[in-house]
Amino acid sequence: MTRTRAAGARPADTAPAPGGPAPRRTLLHGLPWLVWRRHRTLLLLVLLTTAVGCLIFVWQRPGLLGFLHTHSTAPGAEGAPDNSFEHAYGQLFSGGRQLLTWLPVLAGVFLGAPLIAAEQEQRTLTLVSTQSVSRGRWAAAAIGLPLAVIVLCTALLSAAFTWLWEPAHLLVDGGDWLSGGLFESTGPVPVAMALFLTVCGIALGMLLRRTVAAMAATLVLALATGLWFERLRTGLGTLRSITYPYGSDGPALPRGAVRVDDWVATADGRLYGYGTCHTGDTEACRARLGIVHHVAQYFDYGQLAGMQWRGAGILLALTALVLAFVVWRVRRRPL
Amino acid sequence: MSDPSPWAIEAEGLGKKYRGGWALRDCSFRLPAGHICALVGPNGAGKSTFLGTATRLVEPTTGTLKLFGVPVSDPAVLSRVAFLAQDKPLYPRFTVAETLRLGRELNPRWDQALAERIVRSGSVSLDARVGTLSGGQRTRVAFALAFGKRPELLLLDEPMSDLDPLARHELSGLLLAEAAEHGTTVLMSSHMLSELEVMCDYLLVLAEGRLRMAGQTEELVPAHLLVTGVAEGGDGVPEELRRRHTVIESRVTGRQFSALIRPGGPVGDGWETLAPSMEEVLLAYLRSPEAPGLIADEARVGGPGEAAA
Repeated sequence: MTRTRAAGARPADTAPAPGGPAPRRTLLHGLPWLVWRRHRTLLLLVLLTTAVGCLIFVWQRPGLLGFLHTHSTAPGAEGAPDNSFEHAYGQLFSGGRQLLTWLPVLAGVFLGAPLIAAEQEQRTLTLVSTQSVSRGRWAAAAIGLPLAVIVLCTALLSAAFTWLWEPAHLLVDGGDWLSGGLFESTGPVPVAMALFLTVCGIALGMLLRRTVAAMAATLVLALATGLWFERLRTGLGTLRSITYPYGSDGPALPRGAVRVDDWVATADGRLYGYGTCHTGDTEACRARLGIVHHVAQYFDYGQLAGMQWRGAGILLALTALVLAFVVWRVRRRPL
Repeated sequence: MSDPSPWAIEAEGLGKKYRGGWALRDCSFRLPAGHICALVGPNGAGKSTFLGTATRLVEPTTGTLKLFGVPVSDPAVLSRVAFLAQDKPLYPRFTVAETLRLGRELNPRWDQALAERIVRSGSVSLDARVGTLSGGQRTRVAFALAFGKRPELLLLDEPMSDLDPLARHELSGLLLAEAAEHGTTVLMSSHMLSELEVMCDYLLVLAEGRLRMAGQTEELVPAHLLVTGVAEGGDGVPEELRRRHTVIESRVTGRQFSALIRPGGPVGDGWETLAPSMEEVLLAYLRSPEAPGLIADEARVGGPGEAAA
């Protein structure tokens, strides 16, 4: 991709350089070179983090499988309280989860926000837009290349982490993949979140024209997005429910399911809060309301992928909107 | 460049309106290729706005602007024009060599040897970071970037304003030498009137967003006379002088008046006349924005085309 764009940076109507082309040894040319040089440190850091992260995740997997094999009889359907797993792999999974939750935020704050804001602040936008490349092509490279690196890195990291986590999903966080942060740190969600926050950072930087202000605004937006996504999460799938007679222990949920809520219910399916008729004359109260059942609501493990893709889809649609605004503005008006 | 237009710049009815009002209004002129042209005017006269429209940084509200016959909205003009902004923006973390590489990567007609020569002649190390350079060295690198592009038109916004006299002298010499060698048309805005007199052979004067004067220096300056004599009448300038000539600016000291005029014919013997310097003419126009403007025939859009060649 990078090499074709370098070739495209030469308008066809101009004569070749009088002195002949200068010696070229490096891989990147034209605008991609400029964008890479400008964000060299940050992009290298992201690539290095990705490489190290992926290596660790892949390296740990055989050991984890071995552990699961030897302890395969121990955990029950819900994942029995077994300290040995937490002891051996707790730190690895919490580290991976933190990395994939925060990487999108860091990408938005440190890569997205200064991307255009710093060029405006240092007035280097004037410098690049008075060279021989059009503003549209500059914007494509300046925004496209960092986004491509972010997508590549978060996709690799998320894939490696998900690959490591899947065989142990019953044990990590006691099998709770919904509320502990695993929902946001596996599958397509980190990639979509990173794209969304980076593009929002670019847009905020372009509007605020101040690097530090844009970084702060992006951080606030990232935290708000985290809270919003947490609320959105349970709406991404249809809750399943299981009904059993009042007073009984009830059947076990399917393996890997996450219990979301408990209710009491009447024979015709009317739901009451779990605490209904817990005080006073409980028998009479229940008889009056007609409560005869317990209802447990849960998400099945099989629903996870669908819910994640739905969430990622929403984020990507928003990303596309913000990106379209950025491109439209960059092309329409001199920054 | 198969059929080069003789006009480096052709502006027709060019105007730019900001929220606060018109920064540039009804600006029509043309600049023949090959000249070193000064763009003069007080702060806020519209100089930077005009340079902005020529570098596609500012979109004009009205009118058209053509560079070498190509409308400025066409990206093809980008490779033919170089711009040196007043604050000389460069990436501070790039080394000088990387800054020159930026020029090489983004410009099809890049002349590496020329750019390196300009940098080296100022004893600037290619490995130095731009952020660590002095103002003069930084300007030199920015010059190298602009010249290395091999532009046909070089636009400079107050190029010497932040330099010490030594660096200013050195870089003016460099500018003139390179422009002469490559036949580059140069348009530079500046407040240093005395320097412009030495460097420039073409003049564009802007005041309050309007074009006041345009044409070759050797045509514009001799079109004026400094007249001194005995003051009479309300503002000291004799009625006869006002009737027969165009008075740009006048001043009374004691019983004497002195005026800069554009003679409409021979000036009578009653007054003493002097040929003004370019600086005196420019100052008079800058001080009197209400005085009638002077656009030389050659600089007038639709004027004689042969005169340029």
